[in-house]
Amino acid sequence: MKRLETISIAVAETSVIVRNGLISVLRKLPELNIEPLEITSLEGLNDCMQGHVPDILIINPLFGGFFNVEQFRETYPKEEIKIISLLCSVTDSNLLKGFDDCIELYNSADEIEKKISNLLRLNKDNSEQEALTQREKEVICCIVKGMTNKEMADHFFLSIHTIITHRRNISRKLQIHSAAGLTIYAIVNKLVDISEVKI
Amino acid sequence: MYNRMCKKGKYKSTDKMSDLICDNYNLLQVLSRFELPLGFGDQTVKEVCDTCQVDCTTFLAVINFVSEENNRMVDNLEGISVRSLMNYLKQAHHYFLEFQLPEIRMKLAQAIDYKNKNEVSYLIMKFFDAYVEEVKKHMDYENKHVFKYVEKLIEGHKDENFHITRYARHHDQIELKIKELKNIIIKYYPANVSNNLLNAVLFDIFSCEEDLVAHCEIEDYLFVPAVRRLEKEVQ
Repeated sequence: MKRLETISIAVAETSVIVRNGLISVLRKLPELNIEPLEITSLEGLNDCMQGHVPDILIINPLFGGFFNVEQFRETYPKEEIKIISLLCSVTDSNLLKGFDDCIELYNSADEIEKKISNLLRLNKDNSEQEALTQREKEVICCIVKGMTNKEMADHFFLSIHTIITHRRNISRKLQIHSAAGLTIYAIVNKLVDISEVKI
Repeated sequence: MYNRMCKKGKYKSTDKMSDLICDNYNLLQVLSRFELPLGFGDQTVKEVCDTCQVDCTTFLAVINFVSEENNRMVDNLEGISVRSLMNYLKQAHHYFLEFQLPEIRMKLAQAIDYKNKNEVSYLIMKFFDAYVEEVKKHMDYENKHVFKYVEKLIEGHKDENFHITRYARHHDQIELKIKELKNIIIKYYPANVSNNLLNAVLFDIFSCEEDLVAHCEIEDYLFVPAVRRLEKEVQ
């Protein structure tokens, strides 16, 4: 359900041509905003997993001699990382068990994009900028006045869950995530008057 | 010379320092954070570093990291001085907090006419100040905890209560909020006839944001792995 957000992808491949080739394809995928990271050794892969874990790891199954996916997942059991194999040659299908998907040397950009979208369950249909609904505007006014989710739920006779959904949609539509940012938006667009704002 | 104009890639210790800067003026920031002055004539990277007692390997590692197109988890850490790298990061903190952000604040105040106390400009400044406070907290934590820990580590003492991985995991992105401010100004700020001042400050905000991202990437992909090696050695 993520949208427009940056997808972090680590590419572990020792061939500089293949690695940089794949990364330049990833960067140009039209629907996805990808932040790639090059990994060139097992040590680098460990460093990567001990920092900000990427959303996806694309790795040559022969990386570091032989890359054992199952063992790798056991080492980092808490991480919800998706692992895609990067096939540059004919490979024994036994080696490919445990991967979430695979990218082959002759895959098109479209195919690669589809694989990544499917894996992360991205829905790209409603990517167009939508206008705020009346209710969403009302919710903004309440946020700006300093009301809590509970207070808003009582005020609108809605569940807290619904309020949270409204808030999420507002952030998504406006690309503003903080109350302070919404306050500026609300005043500039005359949804509220400065005298009503809790500063 | 002519085909080196847009050289991207590995720099060597025998390259001329002046060529480096002409290739990529972003490297000026790196120079000043290593406290390397301009006016180095035709000296090579190695010569300039030696004169100023800067560790050349570390300097090159940073320069090459910054000028590479893609981020890469650095694994060739041989010869990199953690102390020198840390000094670099400290200088960068100083630069952001004492120079870059105050400068942007001044320009922003002027651009949105803060003096006349209109309500929107008041809120924008408030937003900006809250952002700076966040950056300051982020960097203070690094100065006070992470760097202190690393300093002891360099001296051979390992504090068992801290681990660089803990820092690496919680090292959050500090550029998100400034992105939001930028969005608000670009999308929602009421337009005036002349936007020159506002455009100029937006340019600064864009470049500051990029600079902050690059700074955090150096911490994540160069500094943290180097400290991790050091942790292993000290144990």
